[in-house]
Amino acid sequence: MIKSVMVMNTQGKPRLAKFYDFQPVEKQQELIRSVFGVLCGRADNVSNFVEADSIFGPGTRLVYKHFATLYFVFIFDSSENELAMLDLIQVFVETLDKCFKNVCELDIVYNYSKLHTILDEIIFGGQVLETSSIEVIKAVEEISKLESASNAIALVSKSVSGWRSR
Amino acid sequence: MALSGMRGLSVFISDIRNCPNKEQERLRVDKELGNIRTRFKNEKGLSPYEKKKYVWKMLYIYMLGYDVDFGHMEAVSLISAPKYPEKQVGYIVTSCLLNENHDFLRLAINTVRNDIIGRNETFQCLALTMVGNIGGREFAESLAPDVQKLIISSSCRPLVRKKAALCLLRLYRKNPDVVNVDGWADRMAQLLDERDLGVLTSSMSLLVALVSNNHEAYWSCLPKCVKILERLARNQDVPQEYTYYGIPSPWLQVKTMRALQYFPTVEDPNTRRSLFEVLQRILMGTDVVKNVNKNNASHAVLFEALALVMHLDAEKEMMSQCIALLGKFIAVREPNIRYLGLENMTRMLMVTDVHDIIKRHQAQIITSLKDPDISIRRRALDLLYGMCDVSNAKDIVEELLQYLSTADFAMREELSLKAAILAEKFAPDLSWYVDVILQLIDKAGDFVSDDIWFRVVQFVTNNEDLQPYAAAKAREYLDKPAIHETMVKVSAYLLGEYSHLLARRPGCSPKEIFSIIHEKLPTVSMSTVAILLSTYAKILMHTQPADPELQNQIWTIFNKYESCIEVEIQQRAVEYFALSRKGVALMDILAEMPKFPERQSSLIKKAEDVEVDTAEQSAIKLRAQQQQTSTALVVADQSSANGTSPVNQLGLVKVPSMSSSVDHNSTDPGMAQPNGTLTKVDPQPQPPSPSPSPDLLGDLLGPLAIEGPPVAGESEQNVVSGLEGVAAVDAAAIVPVTVQTNAVEPIGNIAERFHALCLKDSGVLYEDPYVQIGIKAEWRGHHGRLVLFLGNKNTSPLFSVQALILPPSHLKMELSLVPETIPPRAQVQCPLEVMNLRPSRDVAVLDFSYKFNTNMVNVKLRLPAVLNKFLQPITVSAEEFFPQWRSLSGPPLKLQEVVRGVRPMPLLEMANLFNSCHLIVCPGLDPNPNNLVASTTFYSESTRAMLCLTRIETDPADRTQLRMTVASGDPTLTFELKEFIKEQLVSIPTAPRPPAPAPAAPSNDPGAMLAGLL
Repeated sequence: MIKSVMVMNTQGKPRLAKFYDFQPVEKQQELIRSVFGVLCGRADNVSNFVEADSIFGPGTRLVYKHFATLYFVFIFDSSENELAMLDLIQVFVETLDKCFKNVCELDIVYNYSKLHTILDEIIFGGQVLETSSIEVIKAVEEISKLESASNAIALVSKSVSGWRSR
Repeated sequence: MALSGMRGLSVFISDIRNCPNKEQERLRVDKELGNIRTRFKNEKGLSPYEKKKYVWKMLYIYMLGYDVDFGHMEAVSLISAPKYPEKQVGYIVTSCLLNENHDFLRLAINTVRNDIIGRNETFQCLALTMVGNIGGREFAESLAPDVQKLIISSSCRPLVRKKAALCLLRLYRKNPDVVNVDGWADRMAQLLDERDLGVLTSSMSLLVALVSNNHEAYWSCLPKCVKILERLARNQDVPQEYTYYGIPSPWLQVKTMRALQYFPTVEDPNTRRSLFEVLQRILMGTDVVKNVNKNNASHAVLFEALALVMHLDAEKEMMSQCIALLGKFIAVREPNIRYLGLENMTRMLMVTDVHDIIKRHQAQIITSLKDPDISIRRRALDLLYGMCDVSNAKDIVEELLQYLSTADFAMREELSLKAAILAEKFAPDLSWYVDVILQLIDKAGDFVSDDIWFRVVQFVTNNEDLQPYAAAKAREYLDKPAIHETMVKVSAYLLGEYSHLLARRPGCSPKEIFSIIHEKLPTVSMSTVAILLSTYAKILMHTQPADPELQNQIWTIFNKYESCIEVEIQQRAVEYFALSRKGVALMDILAEMPKFPERQSSLIKKAEDVEVDTAEQSAIKLRAQQQQTSTALVVADQSSANGTSPVNQLGLVKVPSMSSSVDHNSTDPGMAQPNGTLTKVDPQPQPPSPSPSPDLLGDLLGPLAIEGPPVAGESEQNVVSGLEGVAAVDAAAIVPVTVQTNAVEPIGNIAERFHALCLKDSGVLYEDPYVQIGIKAEWRGHHGRLVLFLGNKNTSPLFSVQALILPPSHLKMELSLVPETIPPRAQVQCPLEVMNLRPSRDVAVLDFSYKFNTNMVNVKLRLPAVLNKFLQPITVSAEEFFPQWRSLSGPPLKLQEVVRGVRPMPLLEMANLFNSCHLIVCPGLDPNPNNLVASTTFYSESTRAMLCLTRIETDPADRTQLRMTVASGDPTLTFELKEFIKEQLVSIPTAPRPPAPAPAAPSNDPGAMLAGLL
């Protein structure tokens, strides 16, 4: 079972944190910090696996991928295959890439709700729901249509978000 | 494609990003939360879009680490809204902010059910997602049949069905009874005929969960799994969208092979043949390619196939093929593959007959110990540890020792422990073992636990041949310019006992030994000084005829330490001095330590006790557990492989049928201490001990603690409460009132455990031969979070486990679900949320019961969620204190009482007691040295944070009475706090010694108490 999905930037700021077994908010922050503490010390050419027993308890594994300014982290127990989880991160990122056309950190920051929707179509209650990014995008588009049917919401373009950021 | 951005949300996120510091961020967040709160209050005016916007803001704030403790009811009520956008918001926020035990969720069950059985697929998806993420037991009971219908419904789209499958998995986890095995097994098999790979992937996850609990019922699924594997491996009927970097759905392949590992074997020859064909194809057909993603995917499948081959007990030929592959992997460039190669080779160790093939790769594995990636180094260490046996122990241990000086700090402790265990288990001869441990202490003293050096001392004591060698080695290390304190301890101990065996060697006269040891004394801590004093006494004893110069030197030292602040050292100095003047009597008393009784190494025990508890135990692990017993036996059997010494695995010379005098020596804690202190040597008759002391290491530790030596009556109880798993205990005398007459006797005193936990935040609440309940608590303002650790100590499961909380009216408590069964040797954690509504001294009770064999055991335990847990220490200055004190002028806010019958204790101890209750003593506020002034802040929902002030006036002539004044801004609080303090001071029922905080050991002993304060 997947216990948690985290996206954080290389400064340790959380961009997405989803816990599939309930954690109180302080504990969530503590976990995010500990994970960042481990990841920021790792070089680029090493494996994508980290021992997470000391952070999440015995038997847990952590797999991460580093893209530009972001870390994508999956935490799961021994019932999952590590490389398959790594592939799932890749599916998640490829899906984001297709949704946002060359995804960057700002897209993720400003389209926080979208990120949740996409993740919910890939992982469901800690289990792999869908592994085909095409199917995921289909489902997400369907939801977007339903949402926009009732209200017209402007798209936050990259230029606007770029202008607003520091 | 269209993006559904929300302008208000973006602006808010921008603002947060522009905050220059955390302070500003908090302000901005608080402002926004205030805004949302007001908007929610006038809900009528909110459009669905606005609601959604606010909810996403709340979720964003929540992710940043701020507690969002409102809007829950609103969120839940939105679920029943008729339109999609509002409903969606309701479901999303509910599943993010609430946990499965939240009361509000119960209100929504009906609505959720209507959405699930309704015709609207989008509503079905929303409801399933929420239930799949946070659905609890009640959801399981009321929704499982409907969810099952959805999975097999032919009219539903795959989108809904795959969610329903995973939703059922969640509900099954919450309550396995909701899936009726008889009815469902056939359906499950039918489900595996599904063509849609999305639905199939979800169904396979469901199957894995079901078979891991009960494979018998799902035999009919086995051939279908093999069919699915064949379909994927041959790439038949796999749509393009499920082909990932050219590989037909690697996830489904992996999950299917995982499911197969839960069936004990594949019996049907045809199925078995087809399966092995597929596996062979995977094993042979996977190459390392350039594209990293393709590599990962193909190797994910490959490693799962390896695990399955191991599980199926394939022929040796196929196994060797697997190991050859793994051998290739551990040398490739791709770090992920190297990592998994090492990990799987470690698993391979569980397979019989392949050790020799694995050993061929030893050199490469040792190289991996120097890999730039710490994850890989750890795996290599695990593998080396696992593959070590008598034939390669010397190489591996020496390699580990060499690596120790360059290893990361994070790994050194584990490394030294593993090296010590291997050296002990596989030592070809004992002098090598001594060498290894001394090198270990020399290279990584900080990381060598006491267990390790105690163990080497035991070996040397029990093997006479080893004694001169060990003493000589210890002497060599002392010549080094800077040595670790642990080395000082172990060398001083060994030389004290055995240096006389070296007397004729150069540099080993008593005088020389003494001076080289004494050189170290200024640099060591008190616990080591105690050992050194014993060593000096022993040197004196062995110097015959007496050397007056040496004698004077040592006497001077004893004299000096007679006034030492540390009571243990003081006692040793006084006694050794007096004894050493007795001449010949000294010989009897300070004679060599008797041999230690044989027992299991605590190090090895430690290593075996490491257990893992996951939701789904992997098949391999289950198998490993079955095999563990057999490997352990193998280890125990391999005694003196090369016949050098008549030593068994533990290397301890057996002491068969000890004569009664030896027996009483070795069971007497006073004597079992290294160079034991002499409290017990008075020639008065000792009561014969009924059985050998269960754990001598515990006794070895004894003298190092600052507590004085145990008093005779107390010692047995100490051993009992200090050690785990001692079943044969005469606990009848200390059964507390709170326990009903059960067939099972608790271990240790429940009342004492409770009182100890009132003053600290983690520890054992209850223990009996079958179960141990530990507690760990965190307190923050008026909130608290306790975690109950329910541990099953047996090799069979505990059934009908029930934990009920009976909270007093002032506490709101919420216990998360307690599983009905605790698996063997497993520990479950149950968080318990506590909220303090108002001041009160009432205590919550945990009503805990379980069934073992036919015995129903029920205990009612007080929970340490007591008043002082909601106190937070605060120190106030005189300027703050006096105005406050004066403004709280009299009853009911300020109460005064003369308390009689106080447990007599020195003022310092009382101060200690106050501090440990979070009432911080403010020195200097009261000019009278016999008085104490203390302050604290109390948190509850009704009082919020409230300052409390206390003054105690004592009478130095009569310590049993005092006058106490308590003041706070709330009358109830003042009264309750006054009563609470009184309870602490007057007496603590049933406790033979004060359960004061650890440092304040035996009462009315100023030396020990002072030491505690230091």
